[in-house]
Order: sequence, then structure tokens, then C-alpha cells
Amino acid sequence: MEPLSWFEIITRVLWQFIPVWIALIAVFVVSIRYKRRLGLYGKLFDSTIGMIGFALVMFWVFTGIFGAMDLIVTHDALSQVSGMKNEPPGTPLMRAEDGQYPYYLFGGDNLARDVFSRMIKGAWVVVQIAPLATIFAFMVGITLGLPAGFYGGRLDTFLSFLANLILAFPVILLFYLLVTPEIVATGIPNYMAVVLFIFPIVFIAVLLNSRYRTQPRIRTPLLIGVLGILGWLYLSLISESGSKVSVIPDFLDLFNVPGGILVVFVSVVFVNSPTVFRIVRGLALDIKTRDYVAAAQTRGEGAWYIMLWEILPNARGPLIVDLCLRIGYTTILLGTLGFFGLGLPPESPDWGTTINDGRRLLQIYLHPALVPALSLLSMVLGLNLLADGLREETLRD
Amino acid sequence: MTDSYDGPILEIESLSISFFTRLRDIPAVMDFSVKVMPGEAVGLVGESGCGKSTVALGVMRDLGKNGHIVGGSIKFKGQDLGAMSQDQLRSIRGSEIAMIYQEPMASLNPAMKVGKQLMEVPMIHRGSSEKEAHARALQVVKDVKLPDPKRILDAYPHQLSGGQQQRIVIAMALMAEPSLLILDEPTTALDVTVEASVVDLVKELGKKYGTSMLFISHNLGLVLETCDRICVMYSGEAVERGSITDVFDEMKHPYTQALFRSIPLPGADKNARPLRAIPGNFPLPHERPPGCNFGPRCDYFEAGRCDATEIPMTDVPGQDRHATRCLRFQEIDWHAPLGTDVQTTRSEPGDVVLKMDNLKKYYEVAANALFGKRGDTKVVKANETLSFEARESETLAIVGESGCGKSTFAKVLMGLETATDGQILLDNRNIESTSIQDRATQTIADVQMVFQNPFDTLNPSMGVGRQIIRALEVFGIGNSEGERRQRMLELLDLVKLPREFAERMPRQLSGGQKQRVGIARAFAGNARIVVADEPVSALDVSVQAAVTDLLMEIQREQKTTLLFISHDLSIVRYLSDRVLVMYLGHVVELGTTEQVFAPPYHPYTEALLSAVPIADTRVQKRHIVLEGDIPSAMDPPSGCPFQTRCRWKSRVPGHLCEQEVPPMRQMENGHQIKCHLSDRELAEMEPVIQIAAE
Repeated sequence: MEPLSWFEIITRVLWQFIPVWIALIAVFVVSIRYKRRLGLYGKLFDSTIGMIGFALVMFWVFTGIFGAMDLIVTHDALSQVSGMKNEPPGTPLMRAEDGQYPYYLFGGDNLARDVFSRMIKGAWVVVQIAPLATIFAFMVGITLGLPAGFYGGRLDTFLSFLANLILAFPVILLFYLLVTPEIVATGIPNYMAVVLFIFPIVFIAVLLNSRYRTQPRIRTPLLIGVLGILGWLYLSLISESGSKVSVIPDFLDLFNVPGGILVVFVSVVFVNSPTVFRIVRGLALDIKTRDYVAAAQTRGEGAWYIMLWEILPNARGPLIVDLCLRIGYTTILLGTLGFFGLGLPPESPDWGTTINDGRRLLQIYLHPALVPALSLLSMVLGLNLLADGLREETLRD
Repeated sequence: MTDSYDGPILEIESLSISFFTRLRDIPAVMDFSVKVMPGEAVGLVGESGCGKSTVALGVMRDLGKNGHIVGGSIKFKGQDLGAMSQDQLRSIRGSEIAMIYQEPMASLNPAMKVGKQLMEVPMIHRGSSEKEAHARALQVVKDVKLPDPKRILDAYPHQLSGGQQQRIVIAMALMAEPSLLILDEPTTALDVTVEASVVDLVKELGKKYGTSMLFISHNLGLVLETCDRICVMYSGEAVERGSITDVFDEMKHPYTQALFRSIPLPGADKNARPLRAIPGNFPLPHERPPGCNFGPRCDYFEAGRCDATEIPMTDVPGQDRHATRCLRFQEIDWHAPLGTDVQTTRSEPGDVVLKMDNLKKYYEVAANALFGKRGDTKVVKANETLSFEARESETLAIVGESGCGKSTFAKVLMGLETATDGQILLDNRNIESTSIQDRATQTIADVQMVFQNPFDTLNPSMGVGRQIIRALEVFGIGNSEGERRQRMLELLDLVKLPREFAERMPRQLSGGQKQRVGIARAFAGNARIVVADEPVSALDVSVQAAVTDLLMEIQREQKTTLLFISHDLSIVRYLSDRVLVMYLGHVVELGTTEQVFAPPYHPYTEALLSAVPIADTRVQKRHIVLEGDIPSAMDPPSGCPFQTRCRWKSRVPGHLCEQEVPPMRQMENGHQIKCHLSDRELAEMEPVIQIAAE
């Protein structure tokens, strides 16, 4: 068979993405039709920049999801096909079996794996980890930033000092330290997970308690139920048989997070939360002077109710914008980690690792590194544009 | 420019300005005409959103991206501003037309010394040398009566007080000796006594330099004091214009009349002659009614005539340049007395509910915030020996300017802070050292507060109904969600809001409506004492009357004790039973409303009374202008707190005022004054406000 021309490659790639296009069009049609009723999200569709950003982000989100469902991929991301090593884009398979896709659309990498499929699978890794890790970082930052801003004084001085300390430490060095086998063996990352992942539980518990404290009949069962489930999830998350933290027996352990991913998760949360802390603290300092906060105080509301129900909802504008930007940074951070071969396993299809693999033969074969690099670029660009669009729309009228 | 020009300085002819937004075009100003003659001051009055600032920006041709002049012309000294290029406009702005904005701090560059900012003006517009510019700056700063001009020129804006900043802004506007000065609410951000001195200054300088002025304000009293002519705006249109005396005494438009009836003039009384709020709401720019914009709210509305066609401006015959936009102005009997008003009986004060005894609140300010109290600490005396009683269903007004300690007092009463010394007795129980976390739910529900800023008083991300229900939850009212919901709807009825508002978000409500929700929330737990912290000062005049009346009505029904904090003496005189005047943490005068508003006065009360602008041509005021600014509470003067600004100080022998804090003197019938003046001198005081016989 002849290799595909560039035109054919593009057509075939666009065809592979059919489910993504359908999903994207559906989302846009529904959103634009009902945009006046959708609040801030709806306003996004008034800004061209915001729409472009949203389209780019949703493109990768859908790609990740459908990729995980094996819809878009043409080959298995890990299997090698002989004779395809470093072949250029559009090369046909030497001996295509029945039901096997007959081309490597974006060529093969130095282990003869399909670059196109690895890009799709890599999107799933990013789409899974980056937003989740960022949200965790936000919960930590919010839980500490609100009291720092609200109470001020020594608590604020202490927490701000701590945040500055972490921010002053070189991030890459920190990662290297955290993933060094000796350090992993001491259990430090596990202990950090124990500490960092307790914050979301504290956050939710305080949120519910302050809201329903006046109605014990609703509060007590609600808290027991929610905390029970969250506690179980928490224990399953941190506990891993064989590691330093193994607190519950295996039959109760709902899932095991691979050690590498846990470390990546912990590091991302650890380095992102101080910045979130500072933003939340600043917003809390501003909003606590408003009359509605004084009104809540004069009717005897507790400090946590004021922080979580009076201050936090009104800080959401800047926080949502920052969330988008920060997911972008986290994506880059994941790329950097992968590039240095930290955390994720070496055969992982995530973009950072793939770029690092392709780097060695960059002068001869460009495509194995270029494809994930462009993916990373477009996704982060999309998140930044989305944040810009959101910011513009929150400032308008 | 032609200096020999002697026609009108500014001539606006049927100006229309629209803003173009994503959804629709919004006409902000329609068919607006006004003429400013040389040396004349024209007042532009109206409620917020009526387009008065848009007119000013239109004159400066500074409407932003969305605003466009869609019709009419603006002529400055006979030249059409609309036909000028950007370059020509730039040479006019700042040198021929100068503008003074509301917020002085926002008009000064915080990173540049005051002198440099002033010198820029002649250097840019006239190419003056640095030396000339400096000399001119010094001269102008002297003209605006700032002490120590050399030091001021060398200061940064944040080192000056608000009043001084506004004087600098005025100085800057005068640097180039403009022919026209546009003042957009120049004193709204200032305290009353400071406002009075700034207004005085503007008037004097206007005369001295022969500058014409366009004075934009929502305060009718201020316009009366400063302007020769007035133009009343409503919903984008000029509805009436004429000379001050014509419009104030012989108004010919129903809106002007309604406006005057809704402000508390000296004759008004909450029981015998209550204020009349204008019914209905200000129309949104895209929902204006056909025909007369004021039609739906007008008492004299005639269907089929007032809503048929656009109504033109018509000259009132026999008066100088007096015109009105009303079809029926010749048919209406403008002097018909206000009938049909419900008169209410004065409610008698009951038992003492709240008693303050020698309350003191000091703050310690550490010099070094990081390492606690090791450094020098300064004591700020926010409240000093505060004593008074408040009875059931009584309105006690607390009057004073910013920094006088009234907010601190409210905080201590609410339990957000604890007192340093003294007692607060609520039903004979001491609550001065119980902070709000330790108070019983009933105590908290009993003492509630209504806040000043309507745009800040409700949580913007929570529904209106939800916020009231939350207050009910906290106060332990109602056993189920359903019961609380029912009670919430009743509270909405109480403050005269439609029940549908329960589902709305605060941003969908107008300022007055938000304030009503705030009142409903304060009364959720059947509060017995309500502290109202300037509840209407941020609202428009016509809404003020409605909210004030609502508060009075609820108070009458529920026998609430109302502590009404305000700096506006007109409204205080209208609604309060007793008045307490505060200055720098001290109570300087306490008595019934009649006692405080009549001599003998405390010298500060006297100045305060003189400073408040009153929108009534019959009122004659003695002119007392206080020098300087309010001293900082961090560094109060020795002896009597008011001695630095007091005009009676020289009458007290032997520098007593500078050495000792005067004792609280008991005058007749419980009237108290904190002053060293002898009885004879106090008795000699003349009334500040006198109403000329009709």
C-alpha cells in the first residue's frame, strides 16, 4: 500500500474524531440556545475568545473520555507493530490483520507504537489528573485561606509564612525529592497524602455543619452519612497495602491508586495550594468588610458559616477564573513531570513522557515529540483563553 | 479662543445621547436643552439614573466606547463641540472646561506629588515654564484656603484628608482659569461640615474668577445654596428649568412638586405632616412609558392626553426663562394643600429598655503588627463616657460625622466588640462584656441592625427569601421549613414587598427594595431595639421618604426602640424624639429634638445645623463655617475635643478649653451640654435656622 498523502491523513484524522465533533456541536447548540438562563456559563457564549477556549478545552475533554472508551484510538497505545519504528505519518502497516486499522496516522515512535493513539490516551491521563488535582489544591487553599483572611492576626502571619516557605522552594527539586525511591520508602509522600486529603473532608464537614447547625434533626444524620462515605473514600485513597500507610484491610479498600500517580497528585496539590491560599486570603480580607458579613455577625452566625456561606460564594468569580488558569499550569506541570520521567510509569502515554521519549531522536524524527507537544500547547492555550473569556464576562455589566 | 465672546458659555440644544449595548440601545438623555450664561451657576438635579452625569460627560465628549450623541448640539462659546477633532477637544478640556468628580482620591494620581500634578496643567496647556507653573500652583493652593501651601505642594494625595483632597481637585480645575466648571456631585463623599466649607469655597471662587458652573447634584438644598438657575431632570429628560426662586417657590411640574414633598423640610412632622413618597418606581431606560415619562407616578395624570404624544418643553408665561415639560401645568392648582394624608398619633415612650452608663471603648493599636505588643502601643479612644437611656417605642437619633465613634458604639451594643469600661443594661441585665457568641438567642434577636449601604447589605449570591429564612432559623423561629417560609412571606408583606420577591436574587432589586429586605431581616426575630445606621443616606430622595415612613410605621406597630444613626439633621429633626450629638467619641449634646434644634446649642451642634443644606427658600440660616478638618481619633486634641475648631473658644477664660474636658452640664428638662461656656453665654445664642414668615 502507498503511504497516505497529507490531505488523506487530515481527512482520516478528522473522521476518527467524529464522536468528538458530534459531542462538541451538541454542547454548543444547547448552550447557545439557552445561554440567557445559564448564568456565568451562558455569558461565556457572548465572548468569541471564551468560546474558542471552551471549544479547545472541551475538544480535549471529549477526546479523553471517548479515547478511554476506545472510540477514537486506532491501535492499542502500548502494543508495538514490527516495522513501524519511527515511520513517518501516514505509513501503512506492513501486515495489516483483519479489523486492524491499516495506517499509523501520525506515524510510529521509537518503540513502533502508534503516535496518534498514544496522543489520545495521553489526553485521558491529563483530563483525569489535572482538574482533580487542582480542585484538591483549591480545597486545601480555601480551607486555610478563609480563616487566615477572616481572623487575621497571628494565624494569618503564621499561615502566610508557611505558604511563602513552600513557594520559595524550587518546585522541580521538590518533585525530585518526593519521587526519589529512598524518600518514597520512608513513606513521606504517603504521610503527605494523609494530611492533604483530610482537608476536603474538613471542608465539607464544616460547610454542612455551619449551614444546618440550627436544625440538629437534619444535621446529625446528614453529617454521619456524608462523613461516613467520605471517610471510607479517604481511607481507601491513602491506604495501600505494602506501603507505610496501610490502615484498613484489603477487602475494605475500594481502590488502589498506583503509587506513582499518588505522588504526582500529592506534589501538584502541595505546590499549588499556597498560591490558592494567598488568593483566597486576599479575597476574604476584602469581602469581610461588607455589610452582609456584619449582618451575619449581628445575628450571631458562627465564623465558619460566614466564611463558607457569606464570603466564599461571593469570591467565586475570581476563583473560577483562577481555577481554569491553574488547570492549565497543572497540565504543564504534569508534562514537566513526565518529561523528567518522574512519577508516572515510563510506558505511560501521557504527553510529557512522550515528548521526552521523542526528544532523543528529535533531529531525525520530529513527529513523535511534535504531536504531544502541540496537544499540550493547544489544551493549555484553550484553558487560558477560557479563563480570559470568563474574566471578561465576569467584569462586564 | 475669543475672549471677547459674550453669548452663552454653554448652549445645549435638544441633546440626545444613547448607549449601545449587546442587548439593545439605551437612550440615556433625550431632547435636553440648557443654557449657561457667563458667570452663571446652573444646577442639574435628579435622581440616580436620570442622566445628569451623562450630560456632563457629553459636554466633555467623554462617553466611552458605547455612548454616542445621536441628536442635537453642544455649543461651547458658540463653537459646536460635536464638530471638533480630538486634538481641538484636548486643548479645550482642562483649560477651557474643567470637571470635578465625586471621589477626590480617584481624580488624583496617587503616585505623583500634588504640586507636580497642579503644575502639569499650565505646562501642558500654555507651555508655561516650570517656575511660572510653580508660582501659579502656590497661588491657587492659597486661593482654595489650604493651610501651609508649600508643604501641601510637596505632599502625596494620600497624605491629605478627604476635604483637602477635594480642595486640591478644585485647585487643579482652576489652574487654567477655565470658563466653565462642571461639578459632578463634588461633596457627596465628604462630611457635612467639610461639605459646607467646600461649597462656600466653590461659590466664592466662582465669583472671584467669573467662572460659569454646571453643578450636578441630587441634593436640592445644596443647589439652592450654590446656583442661580436650576434644571430638574427625570428619566433622561429635563422636566423643568428656571431660576432658583421660580422653581423652588412656584414649581410647574408635578415631579418637582413630588420631589419637594418627599424631603423633610423644617415644617415636616412625622405625625402631623408626614412625608409623601412618590408612588411607584423609576422607569428603566428601555421601559419608559409613552408620552410623559412621569405619567404613571403622577397624581395629575390624565389618560389619553398625557400618554398620547411626546411632550415638549413649554415656557411658563410671565416668568424669566422658566419652562416645564407638562401639558397640564396651567390647569393644576399648585397650591392645593395635601389632603387625604393619614395622620397618626404620637406614640408615647414606654419603659427604659436600654441604658448606657459611662460606656468606654478604647482600642490599642500596636506599632508593630508582626511581633505583637512589644513595640509602642497607642490607645484610640473611640467612645468616651457614653451615657444615655432609650425607652420603648422611642426614636433616639445619634448624630455625628465620620470618626465620631457612632459605629464603634453600635458594634459594642451588638456585641461584636466588648466594652472597655462602663455598662450597657438591656432590661437591667448587663451585656457590655458579653460578646455575641455568648449571648442568648433571644438577646441577639432583640437587638438588630439595619445597615447603610443597600448594595452591600444583602449577600449577592443568596436568594432574598433564603436570607430571611436563615435569620429565622438562627433566631429559632418556626418549627419547620414550611412555617418559616410562611413567616418569611409575612415579613415581606410587612415591608410592603410583593411575595414573588422571595425567589429573586438581590441584584434584581433596586436600592430601596434591598433596604426593605434588610429591614425585614432585622425584624425577623421581633427585634425590640433596632440600630439603623444611616439606613436611607445612600438612597434617592423619593425612595428615602418611603423607607423612612416604613421604618416609622413598623416602629409604631411593634413598639420598637429605634436608634437612628445619621449625619443628616433634616431627617433627624423629622423623625426622632430625642437627639444625641457625638464628636470624636464624646457625647457633646443630648436632649429632646426641640431642645437640640433650638438654642442654647453646643458650639458643634450650632455649626452642624448651619452646615446642613435646606431646600427651602424661606429658611434663613446663620452662616457658620468650621475651619479645618475633624482631628484624628488616634491623636485627639487636649481638653475639649472640639476646641480646635470652636468659634466660641475665646469666650472661655484662661485656656480652660485646652486643658480640661468639660463636664456634662445639666440644663433644663434633661437637656445636657458638654461645654465650658457660662450659662449667660449659652443663653445669648441665637437660633441658626429661622423660617421667614409667609
